[in-house]
Amino acid sequence: MKKLLSVLLLVSMTASLLAACGSSKSSDSGQSGTGNEGGSASKKVVAWAWDPSFNGAALKIAEELYAKENPGFELEVVDMAKTDLEQKLNTNLASGVKEGLPDIILVNDPNIQKYVTAYPGTFADFTDKVDYSQFSPYKVDALTIDGKVYGVPFDIGVTGMFYRSDYLEQAGFKAEDLENITWDEYIEIGKVVKEKTGKYMSTINPNDEALTSILLQSGGSWYITPDNKGNFVDNPVMTETLRVYKAIADSGIAKPVTGWSEFVGSFNAGDVATVVSGVWQISSIMDAKDQSGKWRVAPIPRLNVEGAVNASNEGGSSWFVLEGSANKDLAIDFLAKTIGGSSEFYERFLKENGGVGSYIPSFSSEAYSQTPEFFGGQAIYTDFTKWSTEVPGISLGMYTQEAKDALKNELPNILNGSDLTQSLANIQKLFEQQVQ
Amino acid sequence: MGSKWNKSNLMGWQFVLLPSALILLFSFYPMIQSLLLSFQSGKGNVYHYVGLSNYARLFSDPMFKQAVLNTLLYLIVQVPIMLMLGLVIAYFLNMPGLKFKGFYRTAIFLPCVTSLVSYAVLFKSIFAVDGILNRMLMSIHIIHEPIAWLMDPVWAKVAIIAAITWRWTGYNMIFYLAAMQNIDPSVYEAASIDGASKTRQFFSITVPMLKPIILFTAIISTNGTLQLFDEVVNITNGGPGNSTMTISQYIYNLSFMYTPNFGYAATVSYAIVIMVAVLAFLQLKVGGEKK
Repeated sequence: MKKLLSVLLLVSMTASLLAACGSSKSSDSGQSGTGNEGGSASKKVVAWAWDPSFNGAALKIAEELYAKENPGFELEVVDMAKTDLEQKLNTNLASGVKEGLPDIILVNDPNIQKYVTAYPGTFADFTDKVDYSQFSPYKVDALTIDGKVYGVPFDIGVTGMFYRSDYLEQAGFKAEDLENITWDEYIEIGKVVKEKTGKYMSTINPNDEALTSILLQSGGSWYITPDNKGNFVDNPVMTETLRVYKAIADSGIAKPVTGWSEFVGSFNAGDVATVVSGVWQISSIMDAKDQSGKWRVAPIPRLNVEGAVNASNEGGSSWFVLEGSANKDLAIDFLAKTIGGSSEFYERFLKENGGVGSYIPSFSSEAYSQTPEFFGGQAIYTDFTKWSTEVPGISLGMYTQEAKDALKNELPNILNGSDLTQSLANIQKLFEQQVQ
Repeated sequence: MGSKWNKSNLMGWQFVLLPSALILLFSFYPMIQSLLLSFQSGKGNVYHYVGLSNYARLFSDPMFKQAVLNTLLYLIVQVPIMLMLGLVIAYFLNMPGLKFKGFYRTAIFLPCVTSLVSYAVLFKSIFAVDGILNRMLMSIHIIHEPIAWLMDPVWAKVAIIAAITWRWTGYNMIFYLAAMQNIDPSVYEAASIDGASKTRQFFSITVPMLKPIILFTAIISTNGTLQLFDEVVNITNGGPGNSTMTISQYIYNLSFMYTPNFGYAATVSYAIVIMVAVLAFLQLKVGGEKK
């Protein structure tokens, strides 16, 4: 009797285990969103995005527009944290598992080359599907690898210098004084501001590469060369960038912050007079309702090297379609007709979610010429879009993160006054070791 | 021999068969797979066998060296402090006359049940430039300008050590407390009659009797510290520079932040395995029972 019972138990356990394996497989393919449940005529695509109020919301707008022409079209947006999304994509692709992946995926611009090169044949080619001449060139450059264009450009991170007009007035500066200045002039202004108002000019975070990235791109350079070599030694833009960075740190005009929330907190609390950041920062700045009317935007300061401009970029993302997706053609058509070529989409995206794209035809629309009260009636979007056409196009390469980390490793030494040439050589060496 | 394989024995085997199969499948198979992976290199899913060159790269990799040095520093500084503290606290909590014992024990154990991420975020805000620590120090006039704790390579390490000590001391204390309660009170009574002071009793009775437990906590703490990840990622994210980065974070970076090289990441993982094994072996040699 006992034996019979135990055998039964064992059998049922094994069976349930096998059943679990089997069912997990079927649920996997369900998650993959190939939409096989509804038969091959299904018009459902699945997309992964990381911010339901921003890029997720954008997809919803696009879905609405597309469904007008294509009744029955359905889009499922799976929302997860950005790092989770990247981790999931990496592990899935590296293990060679095609199931469980979506049709459409959002990719951060610095990751584009890395993904396309490390996982060849995984992402769909968009070269003839979208009219790329309608987009800001630097955005298309980031998507172009070996003459092929992957994905649809989405939001941009064109930078500006947000400033508190009341603090600067108090220190004796007018709006014209901030137009098209150099970083050295910026530091001088900052010293006056600090003296007269007691406020910091900016924040600094040696653990965050946002500022160095902005400076480099404004000079048309990047941490790595287009052929993925370290770009630290004998690069005048890099040298100037680090000189400016150290000058800002040394001058005492920058409030040290250690993380994102402290950074945002510093301007929401009114501790700093300027914020040099991407256009997407507008929503965080506008969170401090009591500061309405006090903010303005000017072009970012310029590096003291040839070819440097008062415009740059920070961040931004693009939409990719997976080559192996069962609904590849539908997903491509959906993206190309909405985010890849609809002025209406960009107007609504700006109005409803404050997102700025790089689709040039939408720039002349009414949405882009609005004059928010918060920024004292300045037509900020018109300004940002104008600057976005001036941003130098660069190749982000596939080792941006490695290069940033190599730089980060040496940054404390640079800030402590070590010889810059020697430090740059160290960074280059470290970078080469990291990417072997 | 034949009698050993009676019915009940057979039945026992049937029960362990399934768990063993699961352990083999989900524990040993991945271990062997990752060992194989550590001999391969490449980007993403383009891999090829490179023999021992991943291991050779390990020895010339300054980032790896930095991560190992940081981790070993945490280990050498933090683990002894934490174990001593746990031992002393346990000793006091075990004193017969102590009032509100239950409250103190709960209070000291409580950090261990908080989430790793949430307490790390808490410590981050304590050590922030306008955090509570700076405000306190300024209000009692020890410092005049706020200190950017997390941006200084040394202070950032101190912050991390403080955080992990806070989190894990109570955990070790519970082991000591449990062990101390197993010591027969008559031993202390006899020592008191012989005229041994409380301090003398602590070092001559409590500590020697707790030796196996101390060894055990030392090994699990070593193991835990070598795998330290959450605190560092959430408090400093490895910075400033890479001065607080741990080996586990480096593995994470290699796999998910950088252009993924899972082969090399597996090699670094095996470096941790080897270090844990060697340290545990040394600790057993030094502290274990001599037979």
